[in-house]
Amino acid sequence: MGKQLITLTVNGDSHEIAIQSHHTLLDVLRNELGLTGTKRGCTAGSCGACTVNGDAGEAICSCLSLAIEWDGRSVTTIEGVQEGSELHPVQDAFLEFGAVQCGFCTPGLIMTTKALLDVNSSPSEDEINEALAGAFCRCTGHIKVKKAVRKAVEMLRDRAAGNAG
Amino acid sequence: MLVKCGGLEMVTKTEELNIVGKNWTRLDGANKVSGRSVFTDDVRLPGMLCGKVVRSPHPYARIISIDASAAEALPGVKAVLLPEDAKGIWIGVNQPLLAQGKATYVGHDIAAVAALDEETAAKAAALIKIKYEKLPEVTSIKQALADDTPLLHAKAKGNVGWEQKASWGDPDASFAACDQIREEEFVTYPSHNCYAEFHVAIADFTQPGKLTMWTPSQSALMFQKVLAAAFKLPDSAVRMLTLNTGGGFSGRVTPRPHHFLAALLSRKSGRPVRIRASGDEEFIMCRAGGKVVYRLKSGATKQGRLKVIEADLLFDTGAYVESQMIVTILTSSYLNALYKIDASRYRGRLIHTNHLPYYFHHGGGIAQFQFALGQHIDGLARDIGMDPVEFNLLNAVDKDYTPLHGSFYTSCGLKECIEKSAEQAGWKEKYGKLPKYKGIGLGIGAMASGAKGVFKHDTSAALIKITDDGLASLSIGLPDIGQSSHTAMAIIAGEVLGITPDDIRVVSGDTDSDPLDVGAFTQRGTFNTGNAVKNACQDARDQLAKVAAAKLGADAEQLVFRNRLIYPDGEPDKAIEFKQLVFDTLHSQEGRFVMGRGFYNSPLEKGTMAYSFGAQIAEVSVDPGTGVVTVEKVTAAHDVGRALNPRIVEGQIDGQVFSAMSQVLYEECIMEDGQVMNPSRLDYKMPRAFEMPEVEHIIVETIDPNGPFGAKEVGEGPIVCTMQAIANAVTNAIGKPVKDMPLTPWRVLRHIND
Repeated sequence: MGKQLITLTVNGDSHEIAIQSHHTLLDVLRNELGLTGTKRGCTAGSCGACTVNGDAGEAICSCLSLAIEWDGRSVTTIEGVQEGSELHPVQDAFLEFGAVQCGFCTPGLIMTTKALLDVNSSPSEDEINEALAGAFCRCTGHIKVKKAVRKAVEMLRDRAAGNAG
Repeated sequence: MLVKCGGLEMVTKTEELNIVGKNWTRLDGANKVSGRSVFTDDVRLPGMLCGKVVRSPHPYARIISIDASAAEALPGVKAVLLPEDAKGIWIGVNQPLLAQGKATYVGHDIAAVAALDEETAAKAAALIKIKYEKLPEVTSIKQALADDTPLLHAKAKGNVGWEQKASWGDPDASFAACDQIREEEFVTYPSHNCYAEFHVAIADFTQPGKLTMWTPSQSALMFQKVLAAAFKLPDSAVRMLTLNTGGGFSGRVTPRPHHFLAALLSRKSGRPVRIRASGDEEFIMCRAGGKVVYRLKSGATKQGRLKVIEADLLFDTGAYVESQMIVTILTSSYLNALYKIDASRYRGRLIHTNHLPYYFHHGGGIAQFQFALGQHIDGLARDIGMDPVEFNLLNAVDKDYTPLHGSFYTSCGLKECIEKSAEQAGWKEKYGKLPKYKGIGLGIGAMASGAKGVFKHDTSAALIKITDDGLASLSIGLPDIGQSSHTAMAIIAGEVLGITPDDIRVVSGDTDSDPLDVGAFTQRGTFNTGNAVKNACQDARDQLAKVAAAKLGADAEQLVFRNRLIYPDGEPDKAIEFKQLVFDTLHSQEGRFVMGRGFYNSPLEKGTMAYSFGAQIAEVSVDPGTGVVTVEKVTAAHDVGRALNPRIVEGQIDGQVFSAMSQVLYEECIMEDGQVMNPSRLDYKMPRAFEMPEVEHIIVETIDPNGPFGAKEVGEGPIVCTMQAIANAVTNAIGKPVKDMPLTPWRVLRHIND
């Protein structure tokens, strides 16, 4: 089976990668680029552990997306969320408000939350629930996760206000 | 006693504690939120191969022939394992690693391959041709027990693989003295643990006599011992590397087939080998509990005094006994844990069927047993005409009580938990007064903090080294499987040494260097490892105190270690800095490098030194048209002894309410002819964020005299209460008992319409 060359931008870095047509975005991120922060879960789109953000910041199950479709496009992974040595407010909120336990689902949950808050700065309870419906957490019961999402909303709002001021 | 209700507000609980009881951010959290945490599947070793296992598609079949020639000839295939390669290697009590002559369940491992990549390994596995002759399968307990059913094992008469019997007091006389007797049957169905991190093992067995394995685990020691025995190596020749572990839920205590197979494939190929489960394999290679039938009988006086409980349990244990005899031992002991009764009788039998050998689910069989027992006791209270809260309060155990199974309760907040949760939930205003299809229910439970019995010891050891920058490294063998145990250990260390948890690095996960620890199961981490850490830090503190006493001209016993300072009690103005003291101790004529060591082992011959207790009130509504149960609120009180890190305690309670709600309402491996019909995270239903109720936490602190700073477990106590609380609330809502779990909509509808 021949390989094809694609250009993929990940967290701002451009990579030329030779891939096989059946390789998923998840395969490429983890196996070719060594970005193992994106987790390999069910590989069937039902757990959300592999969630990354696409060109428009949307939440993508990287296990269900073929790498070939990403030629010339860009993605953000969990490794690209932190701003320098500072945690992003979503990361901060998850850490501070006890939304992290075993941590396996955490990168996917954070990418899911970031995708929501990037386009919706004041989500309703239903919108938070809907966004999180595809992200499975076995440890926390989602309770502190939801609390952390609401805290992240406040932290992002404070930060925006601070920047404006 | 201190009781704290809900919310995130921090309460300083005692004057003398400075670190314990405050909300500390977990030490591994920053790595976990930024994708830097390494899990087993993230490890890449040079030359590492991918393994794939060939498993039986039939519940029961004779293996006529195996032809692996096409697989062996496939380019990229580096090793093929056939049954003869695994002769003499056993799992659990009596299961050969690879099926020898007969496949006895769907998913029975028969052969394995290792190849350069996953695709080639999968292709090679598919090329192994196995001819079977199907045999009539046994897929139910009833069928297995029928007189004319052939035996699955010659030694297991009547297909009973294990029987546990026990009796305390005089049950027959006690029943005779009762005014009211209730007898009924409950059923729970097969389930799977559904860890976030799927099953995975990487083995490097390329050097003879040295096996290195990376895998998520609750106990590196158990893995080390079992693998060493299988491969006839000294224990220390097996090096277990435990990285982050994506959840345990009672399912990762001992090695499973893929661990042994990865090692054998590595030895045969001369290269490291990784085996990891795909989504459906996850359900086929390992499952949690099988079907269990609980026959319960109990009796009380008309005044509501509970006198006797009898339990007869039948477990579908699968084709081999994995480790479920432990569930029978546990359930027999927990029959007596909660109530002051005169007598009890227990029988538990493990029944062989052509199902996968079952293991444990979250709650260790105890929570599932309490689903039955909690409902049964609720029913008995109703029979007598008593409010279940009153009935439970009347009969609940207390501090200093010795239950029939022989433990001694050095601390016990059971009644406080019942009272506080009932008060907080507004029980009196709601019970019996809610509109139809709204219900409220109580569940209570107890949980041991550690249990000696797996080994002759139940030891945890710890080592702390203090460097001349004033920081410390704490070495322990207890894994952090998500429960934040490493942070809890740093809190204990920080309290003893007068530094903060952030000053301490917790080093763990390598049996070559970790101090011994039995592991993170039987809820022993906080209590046993916590005491070991406390002892190790006291040893280090004593060494420092000696030097400080000489410097300060004070009595070493009178020194206070607090806020990174050391001073004679009451004289903080004389303080020397912790960092300076450590520096001076090393940079001296003696040149002492401060290392503290400690261990803890329960002084009991068997069992546990402390139990935690809990009570929960669930409020539900039931849709009579669809049978869907919505859990509206859970009020959860738990006697944790002392909350070392309150927000983490809340998180433990949340997670267990979730897991129990999941098990009682959703989780079921739907079986048909020995096959799981729903082997995926989509079809094996668990609650998502939008389904979760509000959970109110009530942390009850009874300050256990033997716990580290009074702490007891909170890792599995809460889950024991929730299933029964929800089931009792559903019964309360529909006015009919609900005796089967999970309470999926169709089952609830059937109960409503019966």
